[in-house]
Amino acid sequence: MASKECRLGHLGMRPNFFHMAVGSVLVTTIIFLHLQLIRKFDLPALAAIGFFNLLFLFLLFPLEGPLLRKIVLLIAGNHVGALWYIIQLSFEDAFLFLNTDLFKIIALIAKPLIDFVWIVAVWSLSLSVLASYRIRMERLEKS
Amino acid sequence: MQLLSIAFMGLAALITAYLIRHYLFTLVALYHKKEAPPSSSNKTVYEPTVSVMIPAHNEEQVIERILQRMTELTYPKEKFEVIVIDDASTDKTGEKAKTFAKNYSFIHVVHRDPAYGGRGKPEALNRGLKHVSGEIIYCFDADYYPQRDVIEKLTACFINPKVGAVQGRVTVLNESHSLVTRLVALERTGGYRVDQFARNELGLITQFGGTMGGFRRSLIERLRGWDPDMLAEDTDLTFRIYLAGYKVKYVNDADCYEEAVENWRSYWRQRSRWAKGHMQCAFRHIWSVLWSRNLRLREKVDGFLLLNIYFVPLFAVLAWILGAVLFLLQPPGWMNLLWMTVPISFYSSVGNFAPFFEVGIGAYLDGRNRICWLIPLLLLTFMLNILICTKALIDLCLSKITGKKRHKWTKTVHNGNGSHYIK
Repeated sequence: MASKECRLGHLGMRPNFFHMAVGSVLVTTIIFLHLQLIRKFDLPALAAIGFFNLLFLFLLFPLEGPLLRKIVLLIAGNHVGALWYIIQLSFEDAFLFLNTDLFKIIALIAKPLIDFVWIVAVWSLSLSVLASYRIRMERLEKS
Repeated sequence: MQLLSIAFMGLAALITAYLIRHYLFTLVALYHKKEAPPSSSNKTVYEPTVSVMIPAHNEEQVIERILQRMTELTYPKEKFEVIVIDDASTDKTGEKAKTFAKNYSFIHVVHRDPAYGGRGKPEALNRGLKHVSGEIIYCFDADYYPQRDVIEKLTACFINPKVGAVQGRVTVLNESHSLVTRLVALERTGGYRVDQFARNELGLITQFGGTMGGFRRSLIERLRGWDPDMLAEDTDLTFRIYLAGYKVKYVNDADCYEEAVENWRSYWRQRSRWAKGHMQCAFRHIWSVLWSRNLRLREKVDGFLLLNIYFVPLFAVLAWILGAVLFLLQPPGWMNLLWMTVPISFYSSVGNFAPFFEVGIGAYLDGRNRICWLIPLLLLTFMLNILICTKALIDLCLSKITGKKRHKWTKTVHNGNGSHYIK
């Protein structure tokens, strides 16, 4: 969707509504799946996953770039999030086995920072992939 | 307990307001269509006399670079003058500037005596103001390196009589020097390419950055120059301009390079001054902004949020602590829902008071892909900003208690390393 506006740089881009529509279906499905998977309806964990998916939907899907690439990035990001959550849970279980709430308290307090790490890292990497695509397309058009 | 809960809810609401504001800015920067700016090859029909003020205190490493650049600017030299304010320098700044003044008739040097000079940029600018003759006055810091046609691009905005000041874009010259310069470059990208751009397009409070910008001489004289008691003289001037009924315009195409701070110590010192100065402005202007008849409602709301932006890192931490305490003491059902806002508060506050997505989209719009990889590291600057803003608030409160009016101006040291990047 390399519109004329995009190539001019100083003008605004047009959001890709078709990609957004596909993205919203995917995001709804993913959040539904997480609802089924996340233990005890852990709201903060669900919030982090939800925030990540919405961020993707509103700030990556409308940008220039192939739809397939965006879908792959979204699914990969969700896998990272799920893995992150599983690691947290396993730590929690290990400490529970040791009969201490210490980890739970630490995890609760540090949660904003812990979630920040994966959400921002995955989103930034995905954005850089789309930025690379945009640069490559602009170069091709110029040449 | 109930009081704590109300405080927590209030903080969460305020931080969410900031998050929405910045998300809106990001969307505007991405999708807002605007008219194409006049190309640099087009001659502006409006060519008033222009004065450029360059305050310099011990800037021998960079002063020649900017003065050389001033000689290369394309604005007609018969309508152009440069005033270097040698602010009680103890190095060779004055001598170097004098050499340029001898060779170029439009460059003038004003020396300030060490007995009363060297006490900060606002005083130096006030002194320079007595020597300027142009209708439009621009300010450039000594470490800046503007585009050749920057004056034409900025001056074009003054055709509109309601425009009191204009601000151009600042880009980091020495970006690849260190991690700090790279992170500052990221912050600048978000701050200018998205934040300033969107505020300008939405008709909100566009900030005059104190350098790489200009204003009408008649207006600055009416406002009686800069206030030497203010550490963020640029933010103070921005609000005084708006309160006087004028607007500040931002020109994204008028680009200028700056030499960013290169280590954490310099970063701390520079940001401490900014934080303290900005908080001073918040205390001074908040009521005037809310009750002003010259500001529209959206300008009042944005002005309120802008004035309080240096309190946001404190709010985020306070919300974090309050949330954790409330959750541990008595975790009611609604607490789970509100606790969710705490991560969001962090996401909305990372970096130089711009959320990470705003910074990322700025880099995307600039066609910078690799720099996006550094966005997670903005967490470092956020953590540092928490300490900086806390200390700034404590310092300000202490100075209020002790009755101390003047604050020490901490100068940012420029070592000229950026010159390597200029071909």
